[in-house]
Amino acid sequence: MLALEARDLTVSARIGEATVPAIRGLSFALAPGKILGLVGESGAGKTMIGRAIAQLLPAGFAITAGSLLFEGEDLLTMTAARRRALLGRAIAFIPQAPMTALNPVLTIGAQFDEHLSRLGLKSRKERRDRAVAVLTAARLPHADDLLTQYPHQLSGGMCQRVLIALAFAGNPRLIIADEPTTALDVTMHPPILRLVAEMQRQHGTAVIFITHDLRLAAQLCDDVIVMYAGRAVESGPARTVFAMPAHPYTRCLQLANPAMSAERRTLYVLPDQMPGLMQLAHIAGCHFAPRCPLVTAECRREEPAQIVVAPSHTAACIRAAATASICATGGEFNVPAASAAPLLRVENLSKHFITSRGPFSRAHNVAAVKDVSFTIAENEFVALVGESGSGKSTVAKLLVGLEQPSSGRIVFDGADLTAPSLRRRAWRAGSLQMVFQDPQSALNPRRRIASIVTQAMEAGSRPASMEERLKRTKELLAEVGLPADIAARLPGQLSGGQRQRVNIARALCRVPKVLVADEIVSGLDVSIQAQLLNLLARLRLELGFAMLFISHDLSVVRQLCSRVLVMYRGEIVEEGPVEKVFGNPQHPHTQALLSSVPPDEADKEWPLLQAN
Amino acid sequence: MAGSLLRALGSPRVLLALAMVLIIGVCAVFAHFLAPHDPAEQNLLSILTPPAWAPDGDPSFPLGTDSLGRDVLSRLIYGARTAMLVAVFASLGAMIIGTVLAHISGYFGGAVDWLIGRLVEVWMSFPPVILSLILMVGLGVGLDRVILAIVLVDWTRFCRVLRSEVLIVRRHDYVAAARLLGFSHWQTIVREVLPATLPLLITLFSLEMAIAVVVEAILSFVGLGVGPNQAAWGQMIADARQYVYQSPWNLLLPIFAIFFAVAAFNLLGDGLRRTLDVRLAETGH
Repeated sequence: MLALEARDLTVSARIGEATVPAIRGLSFALAPGKILGLVGESGAGKTMIGRAIAQLLPAGFAITAGSLLFEGEDLLTMTAARRRALLGRAIAFIPQAPMTALNPVLTIGAQFDEHLSRLGLKSRKERRDRAVAVLTAARLPHADDLLTQYPHQLSGGMCQRVLIALAFAGNPRLIIADEPTTALDVTMHPPILRLVAEMQRQHGTAVIFITHDLRLAAQLCDDVIVMYAGRAVESGPARTVFAMPAHPYTRCLQLANPAMSAERRTLYVLPDQMPGLMQLAHIAGCHFAPRCPLVTAECRREEPAQIVVAPSHTAACIRAAATASICATGGEFNVPAASAAPLLRVENLSKHFITSRGPFSRAHNVAAVKDVSFTIAENEFVALVGESGSGKSTVAKLLVGLEQPSSGRIVFDGADLTAPSLRRRAWRAGSLQMVFQDPQSALNPRRRIASIVTQAMEAGSRPASMEERLKRTKELLAEVGLPADIAARLPGQLSGGQRQRVNIARALCRVPKVLVADEIVSGLDVSIQAQLLNLLARLRLELGFAMLFISHDLSVVRQLCSRVLVMYRGEIVEEGPVEKVFGNPQHPHTQALLSSVPPDEADKEWPLLQAN
Repeated sequence: MAGSLLRALGSPRVLLALAMVLIIGVCAVFAHFLAPHDPAEQNLLSILTPPAWAPDGDPSFPLGTDSLGRDVLSRLIYGARTAMLVAVFASLGAMIIGTVLAHISGYFGGAVDWLIGRLVEVWMSFPPVILSLILMVGLGVGLDRVILAIVLVDWTRFCRVLRSEVLIVRRHDYVAAARLLGFSHWQTIVREVLPATLPLLITLFSLEMAIAVVVEAILSFVGLGVGPNQAAWGQMIADARQYVYQSPWNLLLPIFAIFFAVAAFNLLGDGLRRTLDVRLAETGH
């Protein structure tokens, strides 16, 4: 019997008077002991499926057609009591944000106790023994001590292990894992994924694995479904689908993903973005047609049916045979030669934070950055990588002057930036700029786009005139590839990718010589990320600036930067040209970072997932 | 900001409140024309006359007279002038002091924040009514003294609430970005932080007007208010207290006037909060 089967599942959203389908005619079959990957960008409807199973759809959404069979029983028509009996026992969930999924005021032990007593374990000792057993199976050392601890005392990775242990504690037959590693550090990804895979093998559990990472899905899943705008556009065995994608969308996503081993090339750019629910109704025929490179007049006439391209491999595309012909245009990736003379020199930079909880408690001295030295040459893109808490962002703040260093010097163009002076601050503002990570927070929601991108001209005692600013706005918007008519809009009316472009345009207003970019593409979808990476590469050729590019994503770093600095616990532990460091990493932390990236090729083994 | 203010005008709650405030405002501004008598004019031949519709009523005193034969309607209208003057200027003063200190405190943080925070705490540990009474004893009676006393007592209200709002806004990257683009601290506060705290500021101002009306009435009631020469609702209540059995209207009318004014300002504040507060709008309440 199948663990889970969806037949023509349709979830609709009510927007005003209209009813728009958010998931359309989704069918799949998941056999016991198999992992089914749901892959796609945000807004594709991946998460909606997990929610449909738990009957926890957001307000306004409802299942309007189809059936969802769990071991032959329809989850949609069964009584609420029966569903409650299944959820948490036969069907378990691994959530996306482990830190918020545990109750902060209860100990881990209390949360296990509650869950296990629901599962029917009568005696306290029995429950405790089972908790220790599953926690140990989840490779958490000292399970006894762990039971008395509170969630805030654990790291994110440990919380996720606890949640995985909780999910498997009842020997469920189906697990829904919704992006279980997205909120964690890259180095935590392989162990967590390995744990899920191991537990799944041991218990013979069926798993629905929701992710945006194609490479990861290729490694972990048996079968995958690629979702686009609420529809399954391609499905089949994971390795086949990613080795020979039949739907243009799958192929384009792959080409938009920067490679870890192949030669650097311009990324394939899918124009625009996935249509929102409101726009969907206005697209006739195939919903991917407006962005598809293979689009024909026939595509716009009617929605394509699922075509079998190979045994158990289907794609919803009439041009599936031509998909392999799509390749990235633009040819070779142009990198201008960096000059030898350093433009920015950082010497023995350190930053200590003094933390205290008021005047009566002891102050702690925490070193965030320890004795860091590096240089950036003109036109050079240097990457700063490391896991969260390694001091990357502090280095960025020290460079632009949002924090003052405890010791050390920052020499820029021959001038010492650490010496305080008013005139230097204005000069620094013109030549050293920062692009912030989260465009939501970095753009004042009350300012119009024109006012944001030329905000630098408002500073100082002699602000620029309105005409000058509008003229500059036009130039800047054109440079970052935004239409001129958004100048009068507010940030809230733009999409995430557009906001990040505005964010970049603002930093470029006075043509800085060095740009500090803090994780500016993380949190964006692959196709938007590719647009921005190509944009930065183009802007470097046109405007000529150097950049310190902070990221945790090594494939992005490899795509964009020529030199890399690896930070670990406040220190730079390794540095050198990207090819050299990635090809032959010396420091254990660099090695750990590199091995946590799944291989490019779908048929290549990922050693970390297979180990023990 | 302008857009959300326009949106606020679409809410029936705000419209009703504005209509009520307008009535009080017209009374205050045009008291000279509206009042049939001089509010201080004593008519000892007709004291404690009931309102015009009562059996013994006199049409020349529409709402009757008090124990000294002064026209109640005229005193109510002039009382509105006193109440509005106090409400507007006391709230304005408290708002300016509180807002400036809140922005300095929340924006700069550190030692400045600590100092202002402790000052507010010490200040707030005095019971507000007692503090204002003590201040009035020290300052003496008079309209300006009442305003000063309320400002000195109530600035903490603005400071505390706004500081926490400034702290939230301050954490946004756009405030740091403004500094990086070359904005001075002053420019950053005025152009980036203040626009974000303005909706809360307007709401607090409107609620503070209601509080100022009540405090002024209390001070006038105990005779430490605007002084005997000026008509005030609190004073009217104090005068009518002794004759409550002979003429209950004299007591009820100023109480109603106070109730009307306070309700108007509270309704306005609440309505503005509902339409201007982004967080409430986002959660859909």
